[in-house]
Amino acid sequence: MGSDRRRAGDAGRAADIRVVIIGGGGTGAAILHDLTLRGFACTMVERGELTSGTTGRHHGQLHSGARYAVGDEEIARECMDEVRILGRIAPESIEMNYGLFLALSENDVTYGDTFQEACSAAGIPNRRLSIEEALRHEPAINPQAHFAVLVPDGTLDAYRLPLQFFATAVANGADVRSFTEVLSVESSGVAATGVTVIDYRTRRKERVPADVVINAAGPWGGQVAGRAGIDLPITPAPGTMVAVKGRLCNMVVSHLHPPGDGDIVVPQRRLSVVGTTQWETDDPDRIRTPEGDIRSLIRRGGELVPTLADAEFHAAWTAARPLAGRSSAGGRALSRDLEVYAHAADGLDNFYSVIGGKATVLRAMGQAVSDILCSDLDLNLPCTTATTPLLSHRHYFRRAS
Amino acid sequence: MTAMIRIIRGGGEQSEFTVETGEFTTLLDALEEIRSEQDGGLLYRHSCHHGSCGTCGVIANGKRVLSCVTRVSKLEQPVEVRPLTPYPVIGDLAIDPAPLYSEFPDDASILRPSEAQPDATPPAEIPGFTRFENCIECGLCESVCPVLRAGGAAPGRPFKGPAALAAYGREIEKHPERTDELLPEIDSPDGVWGCDRALECSRVCPLEVYPAKQIAVLQQKIRARKAPV
Ligand SMILES: Cc1cc2nc3c(=O)[nH]c(=O)nc-3n(C[C@H](O)[C@H](O)[C@H](O)COP(=O)(O)OP(=O)(O)OC[C@H]3O[C@@H](n4cnc5c(N)ncnc54)[C@H](O)[C@@H]3O)c2cc1C
Ligand code: SF4
Ligand code: FES
Repeated sequence: MGSDRRRAGDAGRAADIRVVIIGGGGTGAAILHDLTLRGFACTMVERGELTSGTTGRHHGQLHSGARYAVGDEEIARECMDEVRILGRIAPESIEMNYGLFLALSENDVTYGDTFQEACSAAGIPNRRLSIEEALRHEPAINPQAHFAVLVPDGTLDAYRLPLQFFATAVANGADVRSFTEVLSVESSGVAATGVTVIDYRTRRKERVPADVVINAAGPWGGQVAGRAGIDLPITPAPGTMVAVKGRLCNMVVSHLHPPGDGDIVVPQRRLSVVGTTQWETDDPDRIRTPEGDIRSLIRRGGELVPTLADAEFHAAWTAARPLAGRSSAGGRALSRDLEVYAHAADGLDNFYSVIGGKATVLRAMGQAVSDILCSDLDLNLPCTTATTPLLSHRHYFRRAS
Repeated sequence: MTAMIRIIRGGGEQSEFTVETGEFTTLLDALEEIRSEQDGGLLYRHSCHHGSCGTCGVIANGKRVLSCVTRVSKLEQPVEVRPLTPYPVIGDLAIDPAPLYSEFPDDASILRPSEAQPDATPPAEIPGFTRFENCIECGLCESVCPVLRAGGAAPGRPFKGPAALAAYGREIEKHPERTDELLPEIDSPDGVWGCDRALECSRVCPLEVYPAKQIAVLQQKIRARKAPV
C-alpha cells in the first residue's frame, strides 16, 4: 500500500517535470516514450525529419546479440532480451527470419566453438547446421562454407520501428517537434533551465523551458553538448552500406568471425543490404560515400551470398556512429556501447547526454536513461515499456492535419 | 563533375546551387551537400537513403522520384526540384504526409509471406519466411494521380487515393476474413469508384505496387459480391 501511495505521489511530481529531449533518432524516440509513460511532461526536438540522422540509415539488422557474444556478453544478452520484447510490442516492424553465421575458412571453423559457447552463455539460442542443412533453409549462401550457426537474427524497419515509439508517445501526450533545431542549452547558476530553438517551419527562434534536458543527438552529441558550454569530445565514425536489387536471401547472413568490414548481408523487402566499413571524420554533416567502399562491400558480401556479386546496384550510403573521445567524470557506461553522462559532474545539473547503443536495443536504452533520471530525482516510477504494445507507425502521421 | 540544382520552394521562391557530384551522387546527396555547405536551413525529408522509408519524394524536372535513389548524373541540368503536390508544405521541399496516411485501412499489416527462395524450408523456429510489403508509403502515386490533383497543385475530387486503396487490396488478399469489414469502406465514389483509370500511379510507383491494378481487382470483388446468384 505504502509503495503504491508513494508511486501515485511520484507520478504527480513527474507530471510537473518538463523534460526536453534533443534528437529524434531511435534513442530519443525510446526515451520520449518511456518518460511519457512514467508521467513526465516531455517535448522532443529534432532538427530535421524524424530519424533523419543515423537511425533511418542503418542496415536494419535486428541483432540477436550473436555478433557481439564473444566480445561482450552483456550487450549480447541485452540484444536477445530486446529481440523477444520487440517481437511482442512491435511485431509489425520486424521480418523475423533468423540468421546464419557461415564458417568460410579454417580459422572460422576454430572460432565456431568459442562463438557458440559465448552465444549460449549470453542466452542466445544457437544451432550448428551442416552446410547441406543450411542450404535447405537458405539456398543463396556460399556452398563452400564448412558449416553454419543458426541464431535468432532478423530485419527491422529502421524508420518504422522508431516511428512506432513516437506514435505511442504522442498518443500518450508527448510533444514532438521536428524541423526544429536546438541552438543553445540555457542554464541558471548550475542548473539547465531550457533550450533555445529555431523552428524552421516559421524561421522563428523561441525558448522552450525545461527542468531536465537530455542530449540524444547521436554523432552530433558533441556539438549539442558544446551548445551547453560542455566539452564532450565525440568522433563521428561513418560506415558505408550498399543495397543491391533483389531479395537474394530471407535470412541475415553473417561471417562467422570477429566483427569486421563487409561481413553481413541483411535482406529487406526486395533488397539485400551489405555492410559495413568504418572510418573517422570531424563533422557528421559532411560525409560522402567512398566509391572504393562500394566495390569492396559487394566483393565481400559475395563471399557470403555469391549471387550478390552480379546483382544490380541499387544504392550506397553512409551513417555515422558516435565514438566517445573520452569519458567525462559523470559518464556511466551501461554497456560497451551506451554511455549516459550526467553533466552535474561538469557543473551543469539536470543535463544528460546519451551516446551510442544499437537500434535493436532502443527500448532498453530508453529504460536505462529513464531509470537513471528517476533515481537522480528520487522518484519511484517503474518502467512499463517492455509490456506496452506500440501503436502502428501510421498513427504518428495520422494525428496531424 | 558539378551539377546545377534549382530548388523551387513550397512558397514559390527559387534558389540555385552548384554542387560537386560523382558517379553515384544522388539527388538526396546533393540536397545534403547544399544544406551542409550553402543553405543550413534547407528543409527536405529523408531517412533511409536507399528507397525503403518513403520519405524523400520530390518532383525533379517534372517527374515524381525518390531523391535517394535518383542519380544526379542521369538528370538534365539545371535540375529543377519541387515539393510533392498536393500535400501541405511544411517548408521548402518538406511536405506533411498526413493526407496519405489518413486513408489507410486501420492497422493494415505491412508484413507478408516472402516469395524469395520458394523451395527453401524455414527453420523449425519460425512458421514461414516473411518480409515487409513493397509499398513504402512514399505518396508518389497520389502526387501524380489526376483525380487528386485536378491540375497543378489545386485539390481534386475527394478520393482515398491509389496508395490507400492498394493497401485495402493487400489486406483483403492476406486476410480474406476481413473482406466484409473492409470492402464496404471503399465501395463509394471516393473509394474504388473514384478511379478514372489514368494508370499514372502504376507507372510512377518506384516499388512496382501497381495500385491501378489493385483498384481494378477490388472493383471486380465488389461487383462479384453484388451480382445476383
Ligand atoms: C553504419 C552503421 C550501421 C548500423 N547498423 C545497425 C544495425 O544493423 N542494427 C542496429 O541495431 N544498429 C545499427 N547501427 C546502430 C544504430 O544505427 C544507432 O545505434 C542508432 O541509430 C543511434 O540512434 P541515435 O538516436 O542515438 O542517433 P541519431 O539517429 O543520429 O539521432 C540523433 C538526432 O539528433 C538530431 N540532432 C542533431 N543535432 C541537433 C540539434 N542541435 N537540435 C535538434 N536535433 C539535433 C539529428 O538530426 C539526429 O536525427 C548502425 C550504425 C551505423 C553507423
Ligand atoms: S503504391 Fe508505390 S507510389 Fe504509392 S505510396 Fe506505395 S510505394 Fe509509393
Ligand atoms: S530516404 Fe528513404 S526512400 Fe528515400
